This record gives sequence, structure tokens and C-alpha cells, in this order.
Amino acid sequence: MSTILTLIRKDIAIFLRNRTAVSLTFIVPIVMITVFGYVFGLNRKDRGPADISLAVVNQAPDNPAARKLVEALKAEKSFRIISDRTNPDGTTRPLTETDVRQRILNRELRFALVIPPDVIPADSIGLHLKILSDPRNEIETQMVSGLLQKTVFSNVPELLGQSLQARARSFLGGGRLDQFNRTMASTIASTFGGNPDVIQRRIESGDFGFSQLQPVTDPKLRRLDAPAAGGAAATPVSTPTAATSRTQDFFSRIVNIENVQLVGKEVKSPDATRVVGGWAIMFLLFAVSGSSAAYFDEKNAGIFQRLLSSPVSRGQLLWSRFLYAILLGLVQLTVLFFAGSLMYGIDVLGHLGNLIVICTASAAACASFGMLIAAFSPNAQAASGLATLFVMLMSSTGGAWWPMSLMPEFMQKIGKCTLVYWSMEGFAQVLWAGNSFLQIMPTVGILFAIAVGVMTISVWRLNQRQIFG
Amino acid sequence: MLALRHVNKRFGRITALDDVSLDVAAGEFFGLLGPNGAGKTTLMSLVAGLRTPDAGALTLDGAPLAVRDTTARRALGLVPQSIALYEDLTAEQNLRIFGSVYGLRGTELRGRVAEALAAVQLVDRRRDQVKKFSGGMQRRLNLAAALLHRPKLLLCDEPTVGVDPQSRNAIFEYLERLNHEGLTIIYSTHYMEEATRLCSRIGIIDHGKILALGTLDELLLQLPFEDEITFPATPATAPLAARLPAHGEIATADDTHRFRPRSGYALSGFFALTESLGLPPRLFTSQRPTLEAVFLHLTGRNLRE
Repeated sequence: MSTILTLIRKDIAIFLRNRTAVSLTFIVPIVMITVFGYVFGLNRKDRGPADISLAVVNQAPDNPAARKLVEALKAEKSFRIISDRTNPDGTTRPLTETDVRQRILNRELRFALVIPPDVIPADSIGLHLKILSDPRNEIETQMVSGLLQKTVFSNVPELLGQSLQARARSFLGGGRLDQFNRTMASTIASTFGGNPDVIQRRIESGDFGFSQLQPVTDPKLRRLDAPAAGGAAATPVSTPTAATSRTQDFFSRIVNIENVQLVGKEVKSPDATRVVGGWAIMFLLFAVSGSSAAYFDEKNAGIFQRLLSSPVSRGQLLWSRFLYAILLGLVQLTVLFFAGSLMYGIDVLGHLGNLIVICTASAAACASFGMLIAAFSPNAQAASGLATLFVMLMSSTGGAWWPMSLMPEFMQKIGKCTLVYWSMEGFAQVLWAGNSFLQIMPTVGILFAIAVGVMTISVWRLNQRQIFG
Repeated sequence: MLALRHVNKRFGRITALDDVSLDVAAGEFFGLLGPNGAGKTTLMSLVAGLRTPDAGALTLDGAPLAVRDTTARRALGLVPQSIALYEDLTAEQNLRIFGSVYGLRGTELRGRVAEALAAVQLVDRRRDQVKKFSGGMQRRLNLAAALLHRPKLLLCDEPTVGVDPQSRNAIFEYLERLNHEGLTIIYSTHYMEEATRLCSRIGIIDHGKILALGTLDELLLQLPFEDEITFPATPATAPLAARLPAHGEIATADDTHRFRPRSGYALSGFFALTESLGLPPRLFTSQRPTLEAVFLHLTGRNLRE
């Protein structure tokens, strides 16, 4: 046992001598737990998704309930509602469905709610809404769908009331309906109090107070459709959850939300295609760590001395390492994508050319980070620690682990500066959206710009230091 | 061939080279002898173009040597102090890589690789990974990699560190043959035996300064004595050891006395003294002084402390 303790003490002594290892051992977990805290809103009141861009097109602007629905969406903190567009002359006008469709296709937006002119159909009781989307991120899509449903269903009673009024008007005629509304308003006012004129206006706007309805929980009450006494056992309305669920079922049957997927409709294997970009960038980033360590292996072996005493220049040495890292990254990605194609049906061959371009740009950006880490690290251990920190930070803030909309706005801005974000954007453009070469060029350009910029800093730093010793 | 003029190099507060000037003629086997930390590797790195001097000039055949001058580096070969080989690759693969960076291609490259492997007696192991070689074999391959392109000047930075005697001898014989064929060699070492055996001219370096420069005979002439007499340090010889300081320098180490008589003190006088003390002649060995003695004389320290 004492031998084991001696050896443990030896390892502790060695560890404590390595200031970089000690620093990173403490820094990495603290940084990551901070990031997790911001993402999941720990100890913050304003937790949850934020700032999800949602375009709203109100094609029934004269409908008060539709206007109220738009206001309710604007009040929902998870959304950043876009309802107007700015003209070249600086004036604004409301968005149209054509506008938002184009914005979704251009990747400026992912979600849009269209309140059509027939939000309240003339020939039936109910509601009609349309959601346009680019559901490239499954988690985010589910989140947005849930939030939209919550907001819509919160306002359904009022909109439903309008639908009832519209249907009644068509059956009874305007005069009889007005008389009916006046009578009802008087009855309510005489029974419960209140101004009959105000009540009548609310009834005409569809507000029957349905939103104040509570589910019935008295076990002695029977459902209206239950068998009579002596027949089959009645089904009591026994629990709030069951009652709420039945209320929602009722509403969902009369609320018609038309989901229109604008992007990725023809993707053969949508689930795998959505996540393959995250896998790809993770593999590339792991390779970053490996290439940094390999640099120190050669340096410590004195091989750089031999090479630099030959007709090999420093620039050739550094760029050869960079290009080799890109090549290795490309091989890894090729294996990954073809495995994904064989096992999960990801359509690789259909987008092969553009995929090669994006893969090359991503690999170049990752390789440049490998060089940066090698340039600023004193040894292989420090390089490994720094690589771990960079990989985890970029992956978490760049959207590889969770939708960026879960993060606070400032973190989303940071995330958009990472190669992870732009690499995932590129993979999604090619595999999910099927964009053309011209359409992916801005993303490719950004990735190559990251590669060139970071590589320039790395070469400068490596030339400042003695490369070989 | 190679000239250094007033070369200085500092690393922070440490002066690695202090106003170093020397010339190495074509075809010379020049030794750079000094202890660890004397500046030998720094001087080698400057000549090899790995570092830039803080002051002074280095020229090769009259042309300045600069860090970014890849052309000049074609005339040089460097045998680094470490085993600068790709351990996971075979001997043949390593030589092909290093031959390629010097511009060798195709048949010429293959021929040079075969020639180098034969010269260092590694033909049978050419397809084995370097990490499976013994230390001596790795050192021989390390040397071979620097000679593929047939340089005019070979820089050997302590090329026999940790090598077994057999491999060391093989390396010596190879270098002597190359030098005989006209290759100029600068050989750094802290082993005086190596410098004595191999080098036609030696520079003794310590703390960044060249303390002495010349052939072995020229260096030994700097000593105030011509011979060195050694005898065992025993109680029987103690009376002799007590009397000798009056006639020269005496030092004791490893149970051996080393007596360096002053100029003018004849050996006959010494042996007359030993006879008077009843000490038999077979106890005493007279030998020419070594570079160790020169270093000690110049610095007050042993070469290996």
C-alpha cells in the first residue's frame, strides 16, 4: 500500500509542477459549467429559449382577435416577432406571405406564422392558421411548435367565439343575431352585474369568457355523452389533467394549423441529415487536438532542427502541417458521410460537389485552430488542454450541442463567431436545404476567412518563437 | 571555407556565444571541445541557419550565411544531438524523406539511400522501424540522413552520445573515411578522446568563449609542462606526494595522483626522488598531457564535472 501511495504522491507532484495542466484542470470545468448555466438559465428568472425570430403575417388585420393574437405573440418572451419590412426608401410595410417564404428560403428566418384572411372560416366553426418553417433543427422546431400552440390555444376561446358569431350571423341574419346578443348581454348584466353595452361588445367580438373556464373536477358529475343510469358505468370527469386534456383535444379538433415545410421537404433521411453536421464538426475538432500534439512530437524529437537546416523553409514546414491537417480532416469526413449514407440513407452523392467544398472549408478552419493552439502552447500537454477547452467552448456556443436559441443573446452572438456555427450552417445548407454552389459561397468564404486569419496569427506567432526548441 | 567573425548570441541574460571568431578550412576535421552548456550547440545552430546571431557575421565560401538562405543550406549537413528521425517509419523511409527535401529524386535518390545504408551497415535493417533500432543503430542512421545530399560541410553535434563502443568506433571510422575523401567536418564533443582521435584542429570553448584554438600539439604547448606522471594514491606514495608540490602541480582524483612537473624539472630528478623513497619504477606512468589538462589549465575546472 505504501508503494501505491508513493506512486500516487509522485503523480501529484508531477501534476502540480505543470502549471498549465493545473490551470486547465480548474478552468475547463468552471468555464463549461458557466456556459451550461447560461444555456439552461440556472438561477436566472429569464430562463428558457429567447429571441427566436418568428415572422408574423396578419392577413386579417381588421379582425380584432387576430390582432390580439399578434399582440400575444409579441408578449411571448421566447419570440422576437418580425411583422414589418423596411423598404429601400426607409418606409415600412407589413410583411406578406411571399416575403416570409423568400426569407425562409434565404435562411434569414426559420419560422413564420400566417394568419390567413379566412382565420375564421365562413363555412365551419373553427380557426385556420398556417405555420411556415425550415425545421432543420428538431429540438428548436419542437420548441417553437410548442410555444406557438401554447400562445394560439390561449387565445382560441376568443377566436372561437368569433367563429360562433360568424356562423350564427349567417344562419340567423344580422338583425336577429344583434337581438340575441343584446338579450344575452342584458341577462348577464342583470344576473352577474356589469354594463350591458360593454358585455354586448365583448360577445360580438367573440369573447364569451371561455378563457376563464376551468375544467370540471366534481366526481359526481357525468360527461354529457355518458350512458344513462343503470347502463354502463359513467365516466366521471375525474381529474383536472384529464379534463384539461379533453379541453385541448376539443380545441385541437377545431383549430386547423396548417404546417408548411419550405426547406428540406425532399431530404431522404431528415433525422440523420439534421444531426450529421454536428457529428462532422465534432470529429474535425478532435482532429485539431491530435494535430497540435503531433507538432510537439516532431519538435521534441529534433526533427524540426534537421528539416530547417535543410532547404526547407519555415513557411513550407508550417503550411505542410496545415495542409496535411486539412487532408486528414477531409478523409475523416468522407468516411463519416459515406458511413452515414450507407447506414442512415443520408443523401451524400446527390450533393457531392458542394459537400466537398464545405468539408474542405470546415477542415481548413479547424486545421488553422490546431496550428493556433500549437503556436501558443509551451508543450504538448498544454496544447491538449487548450484544445479541449476550445473544442468544448466552440461546440457549446456554436450550436453543436443544443439550439442556439436556448442561449442568451450575448452568447448567441459569440456563437456566430465560431467555426462550429458556420460549419454546421454550411452542412445544413448543402444536405438539408440543397443550396446551390453560389448560395453556399458566403458560408464557404467565411470559413476560409477564419482559416486564413487564424493561420496568419499562428504563423506570426511561430516565427516569433524558436520553432524547434 | 567557414568563417565566424565576432559572433555573439544571447538568450535572455545568458550569453551563449561571446565574441567568437574562428575559421575552418576546406577538408579540415575541426573539433569543438567543451563541457555541457559551453555554447557548442548554439554555434552549430547558427552555422546550420537555425538561429540568427545577435552580432557578428558567418560566411560560407565567402557568402553570408542567413537563416532564410535555403540555397546555402544545400551545402551543409547537420547531425543533431537528438535522434532526429521518424521513429514510426523505417530506415529506408526516413532516408527517402530526408533525401527528397534536398531535391533528390528517382534513381538518384534510391542509389544514395542504398549507399548510405551500406555505409552505416544498416542494409539488413532498412525495412525495420527506427524505434526498433538500438541506440547505436539510430545514431548511425542519424548520421547517414545528413550525408545523402553529399554536403560540403558536415556539422556533427555530439553524434555519439549514449552509443556503445562498437557503434561509436564504426561512426569514427566512417567520419574519418569521409574526411579523407575531402568532406569538411565540424565535430562538437565533450569527450577529449574523440577530439584527440578525430580532429586535426580543435577549438576549446567554455561559457561562450573560444579559449584556445589550434592543433593538438599547439594546444598542449600552452601547458607549462611537457609530461604528466601518474601513480596510485596509497600510503606508500604519500611521502612522495607531499614533496612534489615543490616541483610542479599535483592533483589527486580517483585514487590516482597526477603530477605535472614544472618546466626545467627533469624526469631524472623525479625518479631519483622516487628511488630515495624506495618506490619501484613500475608504479609510475609517464604520458603526454591530454586536452583535459589543457582545459583544466585554461579554466581551472575539469572538462567533465
